[in-house]
Amino acid sequence: MHRLRTIAAAGALALAFGGAAAAETKIELYFPVPVEGKLASEMRNLMERFNAEHPEIDVTAVYTGSYDETNIKTRAAIKAGRPPAAVIMSANFILEYQINGEIEPLDPLIEASGETPDAWMGRFWPALHGNARFADHVWAAPFHNSTPLVYYNKAHFAEAGLDPEDAPDTWQELVDAAKALTKRDGDRVTRYGFMLPGNYDYLGWIMTALAMSNGGLYYNPDFGGEVYYDQPSMLGALTFVEDLIEKHKVTPAGVTDGKAVSTAFFAGDASMVILSTGSLSFIRENMKEPYGVTFVPRNVRNAVAIGGASLMMPKGLTEEQKAASWTLMNWLTSPEISGHWSRFTGYFAPNREAYDLPEMKTFLAANPDAQVALDQLAYARSWFATFNTVAVRKALEDEVQAVMSDKIQPAEALKAAQAKADEIMAPYVAQTALKLPQ
Amino acid sequence: MRDARWLAVACLCGVALVWSTPLLWMVVAAFRPQNFGGLSMASLIPDFAPTLDNFAEALDSADFALLYLNTVIVAGGILVVQLVTITLAGYAFARLRFRGREVLFHLFLLQLMIAPPVLIVPNLVTITQLGLYDTLLAAMAPYFASAFGVFLMRQTLRTIPRDFEEAAAMEGANWLQIVTRVLVPLARPGMIAFSIVSIVAHWNEFLWPLMVISNPDNHTLTIGLATFTRGAESASQWGVIAAGTFLVAGPLLLAFALFQRQFVNSFLFSGVK
Repeated sequence: MHRLRTIAAAGALALAFGGAAAAETKIELYFPVPVEGKLASEMRNLMERFNAEHPEIDVTAVYTGSYDETNIKTRAAIKAGRPPAAVIMSANFILEYQINGEIEPLDPLIEASGETPDAWMGRFWPALHGNARFADHVWAAPFHNSTPLVYYNKAHFAEAGLDPEDAPDTWQELVDAAKALTKRDGDRVTRYGFMLPGNYDYLGWIMTALAMSNGGLYYNPDFGGEVYYDQPSMLGALTFVEDLIEKHKVTPAGVTDGKAVSTAFFAGDASMVILSTGSLSFIRENMKEPYGVTFVPRNVRNAVAIGGASLMMPKGLTEEQKAASWTLMNWLTSPEISGHWSRFTGYFAPNREAYDLPEMKTFLAANPDAQVALDQLAYARSWFATFNTVAVRKALEDEVQAVMSDKIQPAEALKAAQAKADEIMAPYVAQTALKLPQ
Repeated sequence: MRDARWLAVACLCGVALVWSTPLLWMVVAAFRPQNFGGLSMASLIPDFAPTLDNFAEALDSADFALLYLNTVIVAGGILVVQLVTITLAGYAFARLRFRGREVLFHLFLLQLMIAPPVLIVPNLVTITQLGLYDTLLAAMAPYFASAFGVFLMRQTLRTIPRDFEEAAAMEGANWLQIVTRVLVPLARPGMIAFSIVSIVAHWNEFLWPLMVISNPDNHTLTIGLATFTRGAESASQWGVIAAGTFLVAGPLLLAFALFQRQFVNSFLFSGVK
């Protein structure tokens, strides 16, 4: 015990002196590892480069788990009075920090650097604006973003008598292709025509894409107290998923993890899969057979939600830390770094100017799959964000999982999901839309 | 009689196989060439060309020496303090008479009902106020007292006949001497059983260290492992994950293999399951 006290005292002293002796501003950047381990080491490389280029700032990149764990850690650190200077936060969690008043608006910093918020936001793709700029302020800088894509095995297409260069554009074409691609041995399926990830977070995002392709909105982009679960667009999307499993039998029943979906794709056990553009580099490196990528097919229209993460700045920083954090945010979203990170990961670069750089043009020419991901951006919309986003998302996901396991029918499932979501958002709704003049 | 015995052995083998499948797969996959064999990746049958590439990549992905050191400090530090606190508290609840003893004891037990994640924010606030944020001590502090350990030690101490203590008291021993010289040696099986539970729990713990530690130099094994194996939007490199998990779980597995008999005996004695 005595020894521990000594260690603690020594630690406290070291902290105190460390802070006083350094002329540079020490800040922390929280980052989740959304894709794969190599990203963690690449992030450290980036931070070394930033620190070398900015002697007045010393950034430590702090690994903080998954998107959800990063959210918990950030919230806990803010409550404990030790906010990080910047966080790479799942883009749809930003709204909650704004609702809770835990985040700095970026407009004053933008204006101090002599730009207007319009001009500053203008560098990012329009589809990304909704999750970064709302409630009259800019709250976040898009850092790496994705959309769902359909990846398909061209060898399987050729083998099944389909044209490998003509991927399905509509739900009907998807089902027809999936039927032709599915291989059966008696009652046993040896190759599935289509697979989709069913794990938390991923499933909600895929359901958003399907509901939006079916003409739906999924949520109210202007008010964080409404979701449209019990609506025809969602009913159609969920019934479509159920049919793929039970009627057409081209998709395995039950919940398949995203990682298992990509492993099945590599192994040739699934001919078409729906996965994030964030997996693009990983699939490019590991897929042995020729593959193609295409937009998420439409039933009513082409539409998907963006995914990925943005940089945000918690409240409670000193002026020096704010300035350092702002420098870091602008550096990380600059065309050069944005493009570099995009090529490394597969996420598209949020900064449009990244695509004007020669190395990006060469890269896109060599990798047409990355171009498809970029083209789909024309149809991309804001990502679902509400009061208590995670719980509201899980309300739907739990019911969809039950449908995928054949425990409940889509119509009942959506009623239950809607009721649960409404209950979760009720406190916020009571403070906003239902707070009426007395 | 003989048949029944064989049947029992067969059943136990079946159960043992089910329980050991993940471990077996981990070992097989860790030595398997990285080739995304799809279904063959899930096979339990080892490949003919075992490789150490996965280990090389895992070791290259994180500073394992530092991670081991930090984890040993955290798990060991917690255990040392816990053994002192739970023995003393267990003694108080088992032997001392004071007003409100039963109420206090039940309050202690109630602690077991609280899910630890609920305490993340309050604990973090306390840790920050103590100036311990982002230190190894912060990863240990909330566990210095253990309701489960106190309960276990109380039960263990109560099984020891009072005669020993009375004999020691006759010889002029004070209470501290009675505890350290008489009761602790007799309560060893209980303490070993608790140590196993504690070491395993804190060796494997992820969420609290992730919350309280930011500096990569203070990371523990579980966080280090997660930095290169957890990805939400990609397929996983199963071989590297298996190798990394093998490195993390290895010391515990080795310890179990070495001290198996002693472990089993203490669990039998203390009734922990």
